Amino acid sequence: MMSLPFLLFACGLGAAWLRQRGAAMGFWVAGLVVLLVLFRVHMTDVLNIAL
Amino acid sequence: MPSDLSRLLNALGLIAVDTVLALAFVDQLWFRDLPCPLCILQRAGFTAAGFGLALNLLYGPRPSHYGATILGAAVGASISMRQILLYIVPGTGSYGNAILGLHLYTWAFIAFALMIVGCAILLFDNRQFAKPEPWSQRLSVLPMVAFVTFLVIAVGNILSTLLICGAGFCPDNPTEYLIFNHQLGLQFAQAF
Repeated sequence: MMSLPFLLFACGLGAAWLRQRGAAMGFWVAGLVVLLVLFRVHMTDVLNIAL
Repeated sequence: MPSDLSRLLNALGLIAVDTVLALAFVDQLWFRDLPCPLCILQRAGFTAAGFGLALNLLYGPRPSHYGATILGAAVGASISMRQILLYIVPGTGSYGNAILGLHLYTWAFIAFALMIVGCAILLFDNRQFAKPEPWSQRLSVLPMVAFVTFLVIAVGNILSTLLICGAGFCPDNPTEYLIFNHQLGLQFAQAF
């Protein structure tokens, strides 16, 4: 699960290498969304600070 | 700014990202400092940010590529800031080794901020977007090395993360490679 963003970014780089720019950007967007979801999942501790 | 100069600066930027990700591997493999889940997500943030620079090398500079780098760096900076805030109160501990007085997540935040500022500065010059110029012979090797290294490190991170976390989520404070642990457990179960 945690390796999914890297997998999507690597697929995007492969698509870019094959001159498929649209697919590359699609993989990048998917990777960024997965990265944000994983970030949200890992925000479990309450911050002990006053803002 | 001519397209070739822009491509050179993007190649140097991507090599800087390659260096950061390679140093993370050095810390993991040489100093046996396994990355925490947020640390892995920051590596992914660097990969997301470097992606735009890599596209600039392959397709020439475009505002959308710089946008990808800025967005990726913003996400990465958010993750590193979250980790900084976890330990910002004195006496609440830290994670990993400190280098030159700062922990890796603090250096990561500085690097993400520099990437955003660097892209903003590069975006000021519109001449690089005017028309695509042919690759000059002088620049053909450097962008290629930067791109291929970036791809290899991305694949390396897939394998590394699989070894540390398996197919699921990572433990909060990893002390060993989960995959090896499971294999050892299976061997132990078969032996007895």
